[in-house]
Amino acid sequence: MSAQTITVEITSIAQVTPLIKHFRLKATTGGYLPAFSGGSHIIVVMRGQKRIHRNPYSLLSSPNRLEHYEIAVRRMDESRGGSHFLHDVVKIGDQLEIAHPVNLFGLEKQARKHILIAGGIGITPFLAQLEDLRCGEVPYELHYSVRSHEHAAFLQHLGTREATRVSMYYDNEGATLNFEELLAKQPLGTHVYVCGPAGMITRVIDTARSYGWPNSHVHWEQFNAPPVGDAFDVFLARSKISVHVVPDQSLLECIEAAGVEVPYLCRGGVCGFCHTRVLELDGELLHHDHYLSANERTTGKSIMPCVSRAKAKRLVLDL
Amino acid sequence: MLITGIKSKPIYTPLSFDASGRYHILLGAGVGANPLLRVLAEMKKTVPQSMIHARVLFKNASAIEATAGNVSESELAFRAVETVELRVFNNVASLLADFHILATGSLMGTRLYVAGPESFIGLAMQIALQFNLNQDEIRAEECGSLARRVFCIHCRAITDEVVTNIVKCACQRWLLVRDHYSRRLAAYMGVMADAEAPGELPEMREVFR
Repeated sequence: MSAQTITVEITSIAQVTPLIKHFRLKATTGGYLPAFSGGSHIIVVMRGQKRIHRNPYSLLSSPNRLEHYEIAVRRMDESRGGSHFLHDVVKIGDQLEIAHPVNLFGLEKQARKHILIAGGIGITPFLAQLEDLRCGEVPYELHYSVRSHEHAAFLQHLGTREATRVSMYYDNEGATLNFEELLAKQPLGTHVYVCGPAGMITRVIDTARSYGWPNSHVHWEQFNAPPVGDAFDVFLARSKISVHVVPDQSLLECIEAAGVEVPYLCRGGVCGFCHTRVLELDGELLHHDHYLSANERTTGKSIMPCVSRAKAKRLVLDL
Repeated sequence: MLITGIKSKPIYTPLSFDASGRYHILLGAGVGANPLLRVLAEMKKTVPQSMIHARVLFKNASAIEATAGNVSESELAFRAVETVELRVFNNVASLLADFHILATGSLMGTRLYVAGPESFIGLAMQIALQFNLNQDEIRAEECGSLARRVFCIHCRAITDEVVTNIVKCACQRWLLVRDHYSRRLAAYMGVMADAEAPGELPEMREVFR
């Protein structure tokens, strides 16, 4: 681990939609958990039978209530094991390790208005942010898009507290969010935040750009689960070892399993912490991150091992 | 002198048109009209006139006095631009008040261009900051006087139009003018120059023209 972990106990598990489970965690030592701000995530370390999973989950509980943390986990269709582990294996009273909260999706303190856009499980970071916003004087609105009523997680919670500030969009009723209408006429100093499926994030970024929004006012977060792919081999130059990367584990996970530590924060291709230099490459890097620029991708000198892979005869990393 | 390489000292670059913007606000003072005319020429082909607003200050006798270039020529050239909504002011306060009203009604997608003496840019930026305009929404070109607004860190008074390395504040302290700049106050910091050895002052020199 690159950061000290905290041991927590699961104190409640609730099925909030057909696909989403809600977990409440408290420190095994008792007392308060570390303070965090809305938009933060934790890494949950899960010791499965075959391997260790480390997945990022946004904290959805109130930053003002530190006696427990809450996360929500969506069951992934092609789970590599993490969401499956939390959905099917763990039970109340089990212990997990978590890393300290890190915020890569914080609210802009100077903003004059906040527009939050959530798709499905992407609601989670906003639930914590709403706790912060509710105490402030800056106007805000939440636009929440889900498949159908039964998939709308935490709606009851939102409905009572944020009724006038939430707009719901149900796919099965044909209600779609009109991004153009939403972003065309916002006052100076507005910030937009989006968390949801990749397509939704792209739409928001593109629409904002087409209306002249500068990058500094557009915020998004999406944790990519590391995609599965073909096996490949990598040589770590400084450690002088070869590592075989199997299809359903990430490059980072395989490097860690070989006993080499790589600094990381998000494990989802966002934060840039695990940025690693590529020393030799005979083949192709398969970039899946949101961090490297188009230029950095083409030069092939860098890789984000948390989500990216390679199709190469030879790959040497500066690790 | 005391201080060099202070990071807060603003850096200005020649103005150019930012095509990623949708609406454009141009603010100029004195010879600052010239860079604005250049940007307007660049915009002309692609930006509808209704999306451009210009506010220009001419003939200001006190606070801001252009020392370089020929103001009357730029004024004539600017008044000849009839295609954009243009308002001309003869004092800074009215121009800034008008900019505040303009910003209140403005939308995301707006770009701000400021050209003029440094103190004018600072005051315009101070308002831009209130509207949370970030660095990627603002461009500024310094032209004209480098005279500074100086904030006394002891009594908090602001002295305008400081052109010398030391200046006497309203509180009677002699202040050394630092490069340390506050965007919030739109002023450079002035610290007592002879606090350690009363009466021992550096030679007064004109440095901000």
